Amino acid sequence: MESLLDAAVILLPIAYLLVAVDYGFLFFAGRSLAPRSASFGLRGTLILHIVYLGLLTAHWKQFPAATVPQALSIVAFAIITVYALVEWFGKERSTGFWMVSLAFVFTLIASLMSGGPPEDRELFHNPFFFGHASLALLGYAAFAVAASYGFLFLRLYRELKAGRFSLFFGKLPPLEVLERMMSGALMVGFVALTGAVCTGFIWARDVLPGQWLSDSKIIATLLTWGLYAAALVLRRLRRWQGREMAIVSLAGFAAVLFSFFAVNLWFSDFHSFR
Amino acid sequence: MPATKQSQTQGEIPTLLVGVDHHCAPLELRERVAYTSESAEEVLVHLVAQSHIEEALLLSTCNRTEVYLRHHDEQKAFQRGLDLVFLDRAKEVKEEGRFYVKHGTEAARHLLSVAAGLESMVLGEPEILGQVKQAAALAEGIGTSGVILRRLARSAATAGRRARGETAIGEGAVSFGYAAVDLARSIFVNLESNSVLILGAGETSVTVARSLIEKGARKVQVANRGQDRADAFLQEFPLASGVAFDRRLEALGDADLVVAATSAPEAILRREDVEQSLRHRKNRPLLIVDLGVPRDVDPAVGNLANVFLHDIDSLEQLIERNLKRRRQEVPRVSQILEEELERLLIWYASLAAAPLVAQLHRRAEEIRAREIADHHHHFPESTHEHLANLTRSIVRKILHHPSSQLREASSTENLHHLAALKDLFRLDEDDEER
Repeated sequence: MESLLDAAVILLPIAYLLVAVDYGFLFFAGRSLAPRSASFGLRGTLILHIVYLGLLTAHWKQFPAATVPQALSIVAFAIITVYALVEWFGKERSTGFWMVSLAFVFTLIASLMSGGPPEDRELFHNPFFFGHASLALLGYAAFAVAASYGFLFLRLYRELKAGRFSLFFGKLPPLEVLERMMSGALMVGFVALTGAVCTGFIWARDVLPGQWLSDSKIIATLLTWGLYAAALVLRRLRRWQGREMAIVSLAGFAAVLFSFFAVNLWFSDFHSFR
Repeated sequence: MPATKQSQTQGEIPTLLVGVDHHCAPLELRERVAYTSESAEEVLVHLVAQSHIEEALLLSTCNRTEVYLRHHDEQKAFQRGLDLVFLDRAKEVKEEGRFYVKHGTEAARHLLSVAAGLESMVLGEPEILGQVKQAAALAEGIGTSGVILRRLARSAATAGRRARGETAIGEGAVSFGYAAVDLARSIFVNLESNSVLILGAGETSVTVARSLIEKGARKVQVANRGQDRADAFLQEFPLASGVAFDRRLEALGDADLVVAATSAPEAILRREDVEQSLRHRKNRPLLIVDLGVPRDVDPAVGNLANVFLHDIDSLEQLIERNLKRRRQEVPRVSQILEEELERLLIWYASLAAAPLVAQLHRRAEEIRAREIADHHHHFPESTHEHLANLTRSIVRKILHHPSSQLREASSTENLHHLAALKDLFRLDEDDEER
């Protein structure tokens, strides 16, 4: 089993890289390496990722989010699942290169960081952990998707403003579509993060009475949640449009990365999963 | 006959092209040799009535008139084609360099290249493929195209379709109208649900409006100072509606795309006008295409958030970028043309397989009959019929496999087989002896 897991850790980023290259060809050259190879590659990689997560769960007998690499792998999986659904239902493949590249970066970091076995803490077997961690990781994946669309939005917005047309022009979906995808992902991320905060709050009152208020991970997460909440309120009240929301999605994702990596690795106590 | 091969190369399609296009003739001359469907029908019927012309196809667009002929006598076909299609309408065509002639494979390659948009004034323009198909349908409809020209036109249509489907030869706008459409498509989901306000009703406005409406714009308003031009515009585009020029700023509040192409000496849209309208628009994006010289829109408008202002320079930059991309696709398109041309030539060569196979069988039968005649007296008479049947069966069985292989003629290898067959069995000589 362990050798299978070790092989999957190496194979997964390679598979994502190959699919990203194929989508890159599709984006820049207008054709994939072989007819429909990008879409088939995407489905194959998703299946490989499902198998990997299944093996991981079976091997450690717990939800595979007990370490940073495992959590990153789940975020990558969530990103690519969201994109596969967008491609499937929306017949929209022009953003595949960016989404698969993002998933590749996450799986690559996960593979580079993967090391020893996860800690066998009692809380990992608690049903609350599954709900809390799932929601948090879904939220992070949605914010990653929103940030990607936000980046593409700003890129196209600037080109259209400046009247200087690069390779991007004519290859990306219209600004209105990018904004819609970004806003949808932001909303999904916000709802999921709210759910994660609420489940965490209820759970922490029982298992960690008094400790949770001083946890730096929780403070960082609440600040991130506050940033997104403020942006969504301003969108409603001040009619913030695509550009402002794109900037928020990038800033928010930077905060997410900070709380995910920096706080997890250097500051936290009970949220510190290595 | 300029640059004409006097004898047709063996294996070449017996096709001749005589044409006039934008490279060799000015617009005034091209106009005179342009054909409507009715006049094309008439001249095609006249052409095939000539004893040395078997098939004829006429392609006439605003940039070219070309006649493709399948002939028995190239020299005579050329002369009649030139006279009937061109000189009867414009004697100047006869002047040095005013027309071109291509033969056989070169003529076929040219039609494929035309259909793919490589010969067009604007590289890769899409209309030409439809025009080639129409010309083919017309010739087929009145019966002036036969097996050769029908197949040539089909190959051209396939080459054109593949060039557009497999390369970027037709991608990106290369006119102001389509550049405006491209810009709109980079911002809005679909033009159908967007409101378009056109300021000015002159030639430029009409051209841009035509492109926008063709690509789906349905809510179009026009504001022009003079009523006559506005009326002419509305007559040309019945789905458009008019707005008084003085009320253009009110219309601006609902517009998603503004095209300004007036001859006003100063800006007709100032920053504060647009700022005001943005408040009504709840910050929805606004695309303004300023095609006026001097400019119709205050350049400071471009600094407003969610306003995308593009002038002539910006559009030209976009067009040049797209043309550059199209030029880069030419080698890939040429590759497709060569593939389709090779298929066409193989098909043409396969036409020669049937008579060759028949000749081969005839030759074998002659040998068999001669040998039987020379030697049948060595056998009892009662066996002669059986002997004849047996030898016929042997010959048929020996020739069965090579004959069916040659008839298929689906690859270049079979072309070599045909040539080898002729050579080994001296089949041409066989015919000549006859």
